[in-house]
Amino acid sequence: MSHHYIVTAHKPTAVTSCVTGNFTSPSDLNLIVARNTRLEIYLVTPEGLRPIKEVGLYGKVAVMKLFRPQHEKKDLLFVVTLRYNAMILECTSDGENIDIITKAHGNVADRIGKPSDTGILVVIDPKARVIGLRLYEGLFKIIPLDKDNYELKASNFRMEELQVQDVEFLHGCVNPTLILIHQDGNGRHVKTHEISLREKEFVKIPWRQDNVETEASIIIPVPSPLGGAIIIGQESILYHNGIAPVVVAPPVIKQSTIVCYAKVDPGGLRYLLGDMAGHLFMLFIETETRGDFTEAVKDLKVELLGEIATPECITYLDNGVLFIGSRIGDSQLVKLNQKADENGSYVTVMESFTNLAPILDMCVVDLERQGQGQLVTCSGAFKEGSLRIIRNGIGIQEHASIDLPGIKGMWALQVAGSTQDNTLVLSFVGQTRVLSLNGEEVEETDIVGFAADQQTFYCGNVVHDQLIQVTPISARLVSAQNKTLLAEWKPSTEKNISVVACNTRQIILSTGSALYYLEIHPKELILKGNTTLDVEVACLDISVLGEGCTSDLVAVGLWTDISTRILRLPDLTEADKELLGGEIIPRSVLMANFEGHNYLLCALGDGSMFYFTLHKDTGLLSEKKKVTLGTQPTVLKTFRSQSTTNVFACSDRPTVIYSSNHKLVFSNVNMKEVNHMCSLNAEAYPDSLALATDTSVTIGTIDEIQKLHIRTVSLQESPRRIAYQEQTQTFGVATARIDIQDSTGLNPARPSASTMAQSVTISSSVGTLGMSKSGHTGLLSNQVPDYGQEVEVHNLLIIDQNTFEVLHAHQLMQQEYAMSLISCTLGNDPNPYFVVGTANVNPEESEPKTGRLLVFYWNDNKLTQISEKEIKGACYSLADFNGKLLASINSTVRLFEWTAEKELRLECSQFNNIISLYLKTKGDFILVGDLMRSMTLLQYKTMEGSFEEIARDYNPNWMTAIEILDDDTFLGAENSYNLFVCQKDSAATTDEERSQMHEVGQFHIGDMINVFRHGSLVMQNIGETSTPTRGCVLFGTVGGAIGLVTQITQEFYEFLRELQDKLSSVIKSVGKIEHSFWRAFHTEFKTENSEGFIDGDLIESFLDLSQDKMKEVADGVGITVENLVKLIEDLTRIH
Amino acid sequence: MSISRFLEGLPSYNANNFTKFHVDNNNRTPLKRPSVYVPTKDYPAEQIIVTEKTSILLKYMQQHWDKKYNLKKRDTSPLSHEPSKKKARLETTSRENSRDYGVLNDY
Repeated sequence: MSHHYIVTAHKPTAVTSCVTGNFTSPSDLNLIVARNTRLEIYLVTPEGLRPIKEVGLYGKVAVMKLFRPQHEKKDLLFVVTLRYNAMILECTSDGENIDIITKAHGNVADRIGKPSDTGILVVIDPKARVIGLRLYEGLFKIIPLDKDNYELKASNFRMEELQVQDVEFLHGCVNPTLILIHQDGNGRHVKTHEISLREKEFVKIPWRQDNVETEASIIIPVPSPLGGAIIIGQESILYHNGIAPVVVAPPVIKQSTIVCYAKVDPGGLRYLLGDMAGHLFMLFIETETRGDFTEAVKDLKVELLGEIATPECITYLDNGVLFIGSRIGDSQLVKLNQKADENGSYVTVMESFTNLAPILDMCVVDLERQGQGQLVTCSGAFKEGSLRIIRNGIGIQEHASIDLPGIKGMWALQVAGSTQDNTLVLSFVGQTRVLSLNGEEVEETDIVGFAADQQTFYCGNVVHDQLIQVTPISARLVSAQNKTLLAEWKPSTEKNISVVACNTRQIILSTGSALYYLEIHPKELILKGNTTLDVEVACLDISVLGEGCTSDLVAVGLWTDISTRILRLPDLTEADKELLGGEIIPRSVLMANFEGHNYLLCALGDGSMFYFTLHKDTGLLSEKKKVTLGTQPTVLKTFRSQSTTNVFACSDRPTVIYSSNHKLVFSNVNMKEVNHMCSLNAEAYPDSLALATDTSVTIGTIDEIQKLHIRTVSLQESPRRIAYQEQTQTFGVATARIDIQDSTGLNPARPSASTMAQSVTISSSVGTLGMSKSGHTGLLSNQVPDYGQEVEVHNLLIIDQNTFEVLHAHQLMQQEYAMSLISCTLGNDPNPYFVVGTANVNPEESEPKTGRLLVFYWNDNKLTQISEKEIKGACYSLADFNGKLLASINSTVRLFEWTAEKELRLECSQFNNIISLYLKTKGDFILVGDLMRSMTLLQYKTMEGSFEEIARDYNPNWMTAIEILDDDTFLGAENSYNLFVCQKDSAATTDEERSQMHEVGQFHIGDMINVFRHGSLVMQNIGETSTPTRGCVLFGTVGGAIGLVTQITQEFYEFLRELQDKLSSVIKSVGKIEHSFWRAFHTEFKTENSEGFIDGDLIESFLDLSQDKMKEVADGVGITVENLVKLIEDLTRIH
Repeated sequence: MSISRFLEGLPSYNANNFTKFHVDNNNRTPLKRPSVYVPTKDYPAEQIIVTEKTSILLKYMQQHWDKKYNLKKRDTSPLSHEPSKKKARLETTSRENSRDYGVLNDY
């Protein structure tokens, strides 16, 4: 049996649709963006887009439309999922909280019907009387929106027209009237149909237009009073209202195909059009007043405005700002300017939103040798093509470093009227040194009022333009202007000060178990409170929470009873006390405000940390939680990054603590250890941090604070395959770019990675100069493409692993496509090679009949082709197999040896496939993923030198990716967005049983997986393996999501299954789709309940529940809330 | 010049929107993910979308039959056995329709 846990590490980033309207309230202007199964609701504000809520649906969003029923003051959202679940959603808000109410829901699938090739089309009558859906060929479904009926009866109308390209409702008609473009043998035609709701059929055809442009594909219905519709084609744009058509053929739209539009104003005279090449056009309807004082369309004006990301959808927000949603590039917020810039563009990009989609290939590497994997993905396509480097954890960009051992403390000061930090105070045992920062110059200086012969426990800028320094002897108040001593306070008992905490106006310090509270005034320090505790003080904090300049509370960590206490100021009476348990003393305590919530953090000497919710008014602590940060004593310090406050935990595993989705998140920083740190905002180092280790001080800037950090390397051409070569510290990337035939020949459409590489070589092949054996000469660089024709040109790029510069590009032959790429060593040859498997693509052939295997050597900044082998088909996949090369070529799997003469020699083959697309190997075993025949396991027999088919999965599965989990267990992803696990049963008694793999797990993932890779995004931590998970396989999807699959024990699976069931009933589904319906393995031919997989996304959403709902769930599975929270928080740390 | 006509007077819902827009650092922003909606309150369904179970072919035949039946009624007496045959077929249809959803319910 197999039991797995599957969870999303990075949610899908491709935008599938977007709408604008008044959804959250009648006056709010909202943008709603759909990303696969998730809806994101934003509010348009003066500051820009403000995220409001993210809603997960149990289904892939096929269509999303806002509409306003008559007499309603705000819009409702209609959504249909790919499995035909329809829903009408309404948003209600009571100020802070919003609720999404499912007003209507139901499944609109038909038992019989051929799903249309052009997908699910949904139109809503402008007067919101009906919703029309074109789901199946020959049928049109109408849902009348009767407010008064409990049941909305959807009924099918027979629709004569097949191959409907687009459909819309016309405006200004008495009865709902459809307009559609359909295709038949003669071409494409436009037809209108008036609907009779009473008769439940189409009653008449008000008008039609036969033989519109053959590529007419989009209908834009024009609002009243003009009415009619605009038909967009490849070369022409037509306006028609049944009476007087107007056609224009603007040359500027011919280059590419228009794929989406946005209406700019309610009057409907202005539209924006986006095409596949990323051009943004304006479409303007010019009208004239006719004799009878009616407006008629005179002309259609189309002009190019500028370039945007390749759009999937465009929507107009406000004040000339548009949202461009993209599926293959970064989505954008774009502004239309009244005046063109120097390039003639009226478009300015205001903001770009990172999009990883589609992920075509990826590799897991450990570039920084940190024991932590990074993912490098081939993302995007065409001009949006890029590599994305994804890392868990936060990076520090180092700007300066000084060798300085023994630092015990570090603080930044502003002295002598400077508004920026210009001084760094460093504390050592028995002395304090002061450095002044003049631009990039650092020199040692002194502050007269400070005691230089003492260790400093604290220093900083305080009110009234003063500085404070606290040493074991005293607290010294110094003028920030002239640095002279103004006041000094010593404890009356002559004892040494042991611990201190300070803010801009208040100081709290202790001498053993006595506590003293001082207030800072001009030129004096006044004792305002003191007390003696029962035990010694270990650490203190007096941080101000939220807005305001003073604190009402002091946090204390204590020896002996190992407790943390909250004391009130100024009398230092106890508000609350929490025993931490164990014997390790608290080393650092901190009060902090994250996303409006107050917390108390308390770090212990063993690297663990407790945190509580702190109630500011009462000083009470609640909701105790524990997390392990490192193994050494940890010091907690706040710092500002951009506009948010975060906490830096200094230890042997430096961590940044921040808040996301109202939960504390702990993210590793990529530095080995940090003992002390402070914020530094100096002239030469703005918004930086100063970090001290045992031996040095580093000044650097911190990356954006988030869990996964993504770095983008833009290639501007489509990356298809990637391979990492550790020995040469390079990546090999196979790319495809578009070249266009013009009067001077075949030229690249735009500058991109392969055209801008530092050096370029072009493939030529001695063996293929003449006729190839099969007689297909047409494809061998003799054919000149037609003028204006686009041609795909493939390259192998060599990219530096640190700078990501393209060092070299090697262009393949004309019509030769790079299909696969690996880095490996072969035979006894110590050199590392890049091996590329190619295919010669001839559009007249049903599949490639020839291709090549190319072996390259990157050395000394040169790429040399070492060997080449002709193959009889396309090489879809390559694998390194015990020093030999394994290649899947068309329907075969072939093994090649590397000879001493550096040639590839065929050793053996296996033939039993339709098309062998994917290969994975483990030891002597090979897993082959087929186009439609699922997976097959082969074994290489060393003695015989041949392959033996061990077992196969006899279910028909159209595979998209495969992976070997262990010797007997195999993971497959197939074309209908499902995952399944097959096992071979070596213990079976008969040969026949042994040759059959059994499907032991299935799950609907809802996205197409292109690649699996073993590896992990998190550091493999020793001593923290409380979570019973084993192994980790990462996957990348077409929607831009990254997820992972890990194995769990049967016992854990059964517990999680119970938990999952409980959660799916406690967490209500928006649209009322059952969780089990969503996760069932579903193809056109079969639907079966999910088995063997736990939905980690559902499990993790437990942490978003309110306390009482958590209790309800925990009680349902027989475990305490605290234990359940800990268990699930541990699970979130596997990614 | 039509571009300037297009670009002037672009619709404004609230003149203040985007006036205070500024990006913190180098244009590219990782997604500002909003907080996730986790609904636990059950709102009973207000309306249900129901697909009619009869296929359009049977609906057409029934309508056609009704017309023919009404015509024939004026001429001759109705044939008694045919209406009941009609009914039986409808029952089969609804059973077959519910089979589609039955698969999931078989745990």
